[in-house]
Amino acid sequence: MAGQRRDVVLGSLLGAGHQAGEALVPVVIGVVIDRGVAQGDATGLVLGIVALGVIYIGLSFSFRFGARAGERAAETAAHRLRTRLVGRLLAPEGQAMGGRLSGELTNIATQDAKRVGAVCMALIVGISALMGLLVSAVVLVRISALLGLVVLLGTPLLLWLGHLLSKPLERRSEAEQERAAHASGVAADLVTGLRVLKGIGAEPAAVARYRRTSGDSLTATLRAARAGAWQNGLVLALTGVFIALVALVGGRLATEGDISLGELVSAVGLALFLLGPLSEFSWVNAELAQGRASAARIAEVLATEGAVLSGTGTLPRPVRGRIQLRDVSHGSLQALDLEVAPGEIVGVVATEPADATALLGLLARRFDPDSGVVELDGVALSTLDPGDLRTAILVAEHDADLFEGTLLSNVFAAADSADSIARAMAASGADEVALTLPQGGGTAVTERGRSLSGGQRQRVALARALAVDAPVLVLHDPATAVDAVTEAKIAAGLRELRHGRTTVVVTTSPALLAMTDRVVLIEGGSTTSTAAHVELVRDHVTYRTAVLS
Amino acid sequence: MTDRQHQPYGDEAAEGSRSPSRSDAPPTADPVGEGSPTAPAGDEPERTLLPIATAARTRAAVAELLRPHRRLAIGGFAVMVIATAVGLLTQPLLGRIVDIAADQRPPSALTTTVLLLAAVAVAQGLSTAAGLSLISRLGESVLAQLRERFIERALGLPLEQVERAGSGDLTVRVTGDVSLTADAVRNALPELARSLLAIVLTLGALAVLDWRFLLAALLALPVQIHTARWYVRRAVPLYAEQRVANGAQQQQLLDTIGGSSTVRAFRLEKEHSERVEERSWSVVGLTMRGVHLVLRFYSRLHIAEFIGLAAVLATGFLLVRAEAASLGTATAAALYFHSLFTPVNSALVLIDDAQSAIAGLARIIGVADLPLPKEPERPLAPKDSSVAVAGVSHSYRSGHPVLHDVAMALRPGERVALVGASGAGKTTLAKLIAGIHRPTTGSIELGGASLEDIGPGAIRRTVALITQETHVFAGPLADDLRLASAGATDAELRAALDRVDALSWVEALPDGMATVIGEGGHRLSGAQTQALALARLILADPPVVILDEATAEAGSTGARALEKAVSRAIDGRTALIVAHRLTQAASADRIVVMEAGRVVETGTHDALRAADGPYAALWEAWSDTRRSPNHPEPGS
Repeated sequence: MAGQRRDVVLGSLLGAGHQAGEALVPVVIGVVIDRGVAQGDATGLVLGIVALGVIYIGLSFSFRFGARAGERAAETAAHRLRTRLVGRLLAPEGQAMGGRLSGELTNIATQDAKRVGAVCMALIVGISALMGLLVSAVVLVRISALLGLVVLLGTPLLLWLGHLLSKPLERRSEAEQERAAHASGVAADLVTGLRVLKGIGAEPAAVARYRRTSGDSLTATLRAARAGAWQNGLVLALTGVFIALVALVGGRLATEGDISLGELVSAVGLALFLLGPLSEFSWVNAELAQGRASAARIAEVLATEGAVLSGTGTLPRPVRGRIQLRDVSHGSLQALDLEVAPGEIVGVVATEPADATALLGLLARRFDPDSGVVELDGVALSTLDPGDLRTAILVAEHDADLFEGTLLSNVFAAADSADSIARAMAASGADEVALTLPQGGGTAVTERGRSLSGGQRQRVALARALAVDAPVLVLHDPATAVDAVTEAKIAAGLRELRHGRTTVVVTTSPALLAMTDRVVLIEGGSTTSTAAHVELVRDHVTYRTAVLS
Repeated sequence: MTDRQHQPYGDEAAEGSRSPSRSDAPPTADPVGEGSPTAPAGDEPERTLLPIATAARTRAAVAELLRPHRRLAIGGFAVMVIATAVGLLTQPLLGRIVDIAADQRPPSALTTTVLLLAAVAVAQGLSTAAGLSLISRLGESVLAQLRERFIERALGLPLEQVERAGSGDLTVRVTGDVSLTADAVRNALPELARSLLAIVLTLGALAVLDWRFLLAALLALPVQIHTARWYVRRAVPLYAEQRVANGAQQQQLLDTIGGSSTVRAFRLEKEHSERVEERSWSVVGLTMRGVHLVLRFYSRLHIAEFIGLAAVLATGFLLVRAEAASLGTATAAALYFHSLFTPVNSALVLIDDAQSAIAGLARIIGVADLPLPKEPERPLAPKDSSVAVAGVSHSYRSGHPVLHDVAMALRPGERVALVGASGAGKTTLAKLIAGIHRPTTGSIELGGASLEDIGPGAIRRTVALITQETHVFAGPLADDLRLASAGATDAELRAALDRVDALSWVEALPDGMATVIGEGGHRLSGAQTQALALARLILADPPVVILDEATAEAGSTGARALEKAVSRAIDGRTALIVAHRLTQAASADRIVVMEAGRVVETGTHDALRAADGPYAALWEAWSDTRRSPNHPEPGS
């Protein structure tokens, strides 16, 4: 916000000028009526109109450049906040999502950032309105102390009264509006589930349900609209009665000759004008309150503590790829021991999905173990910078997202070289995916990969992971959505491509497990067995059930 | 007019910022906005957007919608005219006070006029409230009718048409356009009606004072008309550009934030930060262009205000000097013109709200106007639950056939597995049998009647299609299930859940079957969502079921549990199961193997294994890794 100080000051100065000009317009109208029209003096008329012209030029320009400065400040501030938020969300320390949905965070990055930015504009508007109030007050008191007092006390009173009377209506209307919004939510939901509805022939039931929702929503909206209409009418009536009062006082002063006719006209005009800046204050207040609430939400995200601390240790390069977990407990894992020698291809079968998730999180250092130690080449992961660590260990998640771009640009995203891409595409079967798509590898990928089928998406994601050439690669269920033939091909490709480099495959797929050097079985949070796939299948009942049933 | 007469700075600023920066899409309503046209993938055909109504058709449709509410419309309009007309008595009454003062009559002469002023205010307030209520009732009723028809037609659309248009098209219409139009009806319409009435009647009132005042006031008109046209010409393309940029930013943020764990894993932080910054900055740039435009628009309106005001004042001067008008009349005229600023400015600003609402309306009506799917004149009912496919070929794009002369038959109650590599045409065949696409050549019969003779409505009651695409409908879980069978009792729902092994976790939910699930409610896991789909299937109780890899996304451990549930859900139905887990195929009555759009083999598991053809090869690949000395027959 501080970065926008110059624009805010400029906007405030010009805004104040604009409001002063607006306040002077009714005053000049009064002067023209006095000097020109009432006295039939052409010079007075012309002078008045020239004055009006000058005021108009002034107010128009100050409005234009003041508002421009204000909006610039608001937008720039919002942009900066957005960038910082995304920076925090992507920080290697992680956990900034704090259980929030991505839609909600996107909202914070757009709407909340915008609201905080809008505080710049609210400040400018507030300062400007104050200026309008000040100019009107000076003019009114100079016309007549009594009239000035009536107007200056009357306008805030009027607004306060209007606010008081409309408050119950407002509250009611807000609740009703919320219910009214429900109908559009239901509509969107039904359309999103269109295929599912059609799949079981449930469209008539859905239409009937929507009619009911829409009808309920209509009733609620009508109540809200009626409340709004009465609030509107109420404010109109109150304002009118107040103007009558000003006219009464002003008229009496004028008939008694205390003020001129033009001054009477000015006073009535100013009374009407003043309602503007004064009601602006409540708008500014509401904006500031919203801005505060938004700022709090943003601050909360920015202040979320990372799940892991950034370490200062360094990895010995080149990375040899020895993984060692000693006596590790975290979540469902209990005193887990696991070792992977450099260059080994190891399968991990966890009977409980939670164990697999915890193991993957530890290797990616999304969190540190509650007790015990996880090491890479003898260095505890918790002493390393998580970003640096991830250049050595790549954990490719089962549900990894693809990003907007083409199929190839996704595979290319973190790749080492063009050569490794071609090999990765072949090993993962993504080359076949490219062949079936209309524009091949240049086919656009949208909706985070949802524009591809599950099997296609999985193969592209696997190609991306293989293209990195990471010293240690951890794969989680990389081929659940492909057919048996492709799965077998992927298993062979993986084995060949990762030959000699540490690779951990967390899966229950026999095709993939069969190509590993050995398999580690995790039951109830700790390692219970480790042997070749064939041996485990032969000797271990639990393993057989987990893998083959 | 006794409402705010002069736009204070903040008000104009607020208006100013409204158009450029608040016209963007609601936060999450438009996740697949215009900025992100979904690209064709797979063997999808070319895009054909859903129809958009022409301007003439939009007008006609609105007229049709209004016709049943004719009396409400006329009544509302009449009351608003009265309200505005009553309000216009204020200025002459103020003028009369000036005259009384000018004639130096005693202060007591003011009493009547002041009381009249107060009475006018109260009458105006009451009639405005009544008028606004009537107008919003009209708008809201019409809107409700329109959105109901829209949903009815949208849900009735053949899936083929929806797919051709891209999944985003319909979603954007329902989230973006419906709420855009609703906003316009709720906020812009009453305001516009009031402003236009105020302008017309105020000009009329000026004419009543003296026709020369009207002429003077109209001097501002050319500038205003020119300004409005100048503005719309520039604003429309600019706002379209802004919507695209906003959509792109939204999409990028969803992409980056939603995929943040992938971004971190692959060390793509810098690249993604830059992408977000770039999109965000382009939105800032476009917003500022909008701000500049609106501000220049206001500058021009200021010129018009000045011209008109100066002309009216000068006319007053001349008329008073010629004794054609009293000083009070001149004052009233000046006040009238001054009071025109607010309605003129709002009316002009509302032009672009109205324009985008009309564009949205055209897209809604385009869909609402679609004919309901045609049912055959003399529909035939399927005699039993058999399925017969004969000589079916199909291509999405001409010259690219995906199915060649496919024939297959399912006996009532038979369970057939469809097996083959990805891209063999399994899904296409499934969709053809479910009646989603019509085969290019060949025939498909259900219970001896062809799909055409059965008609789309009855097809859907006969054949259920469950794919890996799932959706949880927002609301209580019981309501979600009742979509499949509206009249089902709680006990029936429970029984269906029990059959798919879902009852235990459903009862463990915070409110059991009344737990609100879906968007904004309790989140269900992938396997739970799929179990719910199976429960719906049981409740819908169709004689024929097609399952297209319905268990694929559940992960390997979950898939096995789901397969059991599937087996119970399809019990007693004719079932075609597209499967890549061969255990599912092995347990079927019969297996059909497809390769490159053709059926290459069909028979029982044992027969096909013995035949040593493509299935035996598949099975070999699948079971090779599963075989163990003690268990030579895995999976069976």
